[in-house]
Amino acid sequence: MFDRDIWAEIFHSIKKNKLRTFLTGFSVAWGIFILVLLLASVNGMKNGFTSQFNDDATNSIYIRTSVTTMAYDGFEAYRAIQFTNRDIEYIKGNFKDEVEYITPRFSNGVTARYKKETGRYPVRAVSPSHQYIEKTLIQSGRFLNDNDINNKLKVVVIGRKIKEDLFEDEDPLGKTLIVNNSTFRIIGVFTDEGNDREERFLYFPVTTMQRLYSNTDKISMILLTYNPKFSFAEAINFSETLEIVLKRRHKIHPDDQGAIYLNNNAEGFSDVTNFTNMLNYISVGVGLLILLAGIIGIGNILVFIIKERTKEIGIRKALGARPAQIINLVILESVFITTISGFGGMLFAMGLIAIVGPNIKSDAFANPSVELSTIIIATVILVVAGVLAGLIPAIKAAKVRPIVALNSD
Amino acid sequence: MIKIENLHKSYPMGKDSLHVLKGLNLHIKEGEFVSIMGSSGSGKSTLLNIVGLLDVHDEGNYYLNGQLIENLDEKKAAVLRNKFLGFVFQSFNLITYKTALENVALPLYYKGVGRKERQKTALEYLEKVGLKDWAGHLPSELSGGQKQRVAIARALVTQPKVVLADEPTGALDSTTSNSVMEMLKEINREGMTVFVITHEEEIAEETDRIVRLKDGVIISDELTNKKATV
Repeated sequence: MFDRDIWAEIFHSIKKNKLRTFLTGFSVAWGIFILVLLLASVNGMKNGFTSQFNDDATNSIYIRTSVTTMAYDGFEAYRAIQFTNRDIEYIKGNFKDEVEYITPRFSNGVTARYKKETGRYPVRAVSPSHQYIEKTLIQSGRFLNDNDINNKLKVVVIGRKIKEDLFEDEDPLGKTLIVNNSTFRIIGVFTDEGNDREERFLYFPVTTMQRLYSNTDKISMILLTYNPKFSFAEAINFSETLEIVLKRRHKIHPDDQGAIYLNNNAEGFSDVTNFTNMLNYISVGVGLLILLAGIIGIGNILVFIIKERTKEIGIRKALGARPAQIINLVILESVFITTISGFGGMLFAMGLIAIVGPNIKSDAFANPSVELSTIIIATVILVVAGVLAGLIPAIKAAKVRPIVALNSD
Repeated sequence: MIKIENLHKSYPMGKDSLHVLKGLNLHIKEGEFVSIMGSSGSGKSTLLNIVGLLDVHDEGNYYLNGQLIENLDEKKAAVLRNKFLGFVFQSFNLITYKTALENVALPLYYKGVGRKERQKTALEYLEKVGLKDWAGHLPSELSGGQKQRVAIARALVTQPKVVLADEPTGALDSTTSNSVMEMLKEINREGMTVFVITHEEEIAEETDRIVRLKDGVIISDELTNKKATV
């Protein structure tokens, strides 16, 4: 197989028939080109979806409350369920290994004023962990810390949009913001990758807000992230356990679907993964079909070549070439053409992706790329394709009878 | 060297079959210089194809170098051809895109001889036919006579037992024909069995023994004067 003479023969035959070789190779290069491009595009879509979900931590669970829909344990239906600080302590205490970050969120709306500028903004009263769960980015200053919470300090972190609204070019850090007639010191400005709406929030220490609103310990919702090492199944399992425990704690019927809403990001994420996997399969299928057309093209041309070379094959046989040696020659030539042109198509596609990819600006499409496994699979496909394309013509060649061949002109 | 007993061969022609060889008996000893004479359709080419293991016979026995030829598959035939037989064709049958040297070296490649050894031996044989200086030329750059000499070198390069020549001078003018026949004689003098097929009386006269074939049977088998007088 690594006989120098066979390669000399193959190069000879290719050099003698440049156009034929080019046309043959082109169909395979085209097939691989499309296959790689399709796979990279699916990858790009996958990355696009992932980055959209990335606004929030992908391992986050949001828990909201509502009213019960079923009577249970002596309570009538339509009882409002309310989380309190004790629920946070309970989850922290019982799921030490499962929970990474946890924060309460107490939502409200306020009027904020700085000098003459006034605006109405939504409020989120949270604890410091919130920053990691929502992936809040601090532009200047800092986010809330434990000291703010413990001492119920009147501090606030404002969104970039609020800064634009109220402060224009002034640096808001350390300035006093008047919120519903109370004064708060601005300790930080944040941005958020999600969208503009996210940047119109005010973040207060949850304890400060609860005290301000008649010393309550109520909270609107619980946000947490689970152990990032969890598999999908473990994550689902954990959120189910959490739901059961919370229902028991608040005396809700186990089958009540309305009282507690538990939103696990993993579920949505899994849907996306399933979707892109499906796209992957489809594009592999389409790519292979296109490649198949290329292979048939090569087989076709090789059959023609064999016909052209009938006499030569006859001479070789008269001189003592064994059928296996003839088959070897034809198949190697086929594998050589398919592999080289296939790599050509692959490199061309990868080059195109490298040049065009970074310039595509779309939410649904990001960083299209080819994985190493794709390249390896494509290579294997190429070699197999070459063998398949060469097989029938090779067998045909081996069957050429020397006398018939020698008499043909 | 070649022993044929009651050899029959027919080709299917639609419903009927064409009986080409009708019970030939022929014995060619080592070192003989034999010609098969006959007009076209006499069956001489068929005989050569069977002797050359390019075709199979229907009936009778064929011994090559004492070995009975039967149940021959393609692979075995290829090995035997490579080992025992050298071919010289009317139309030379050189591979057009290979140089003279590469053409001569090709049978050695199929014999499994190493690359350097092949080049060396092929060059020796080209020298023997007087074409050493033409080793790097393609067949298209050679004259008819030169092509046939390359073909003869190619037939000899594996040191076969028998050289089979099918109308070796058919495509050549009389002067070149003579030089080619001289070369075959020379080879024969060195001890090689040479088996020539021709329809030209003058060519046949150059050999030692003439076997005349007509309608698939041998009508005469005699030594030429030349041999008789020697």
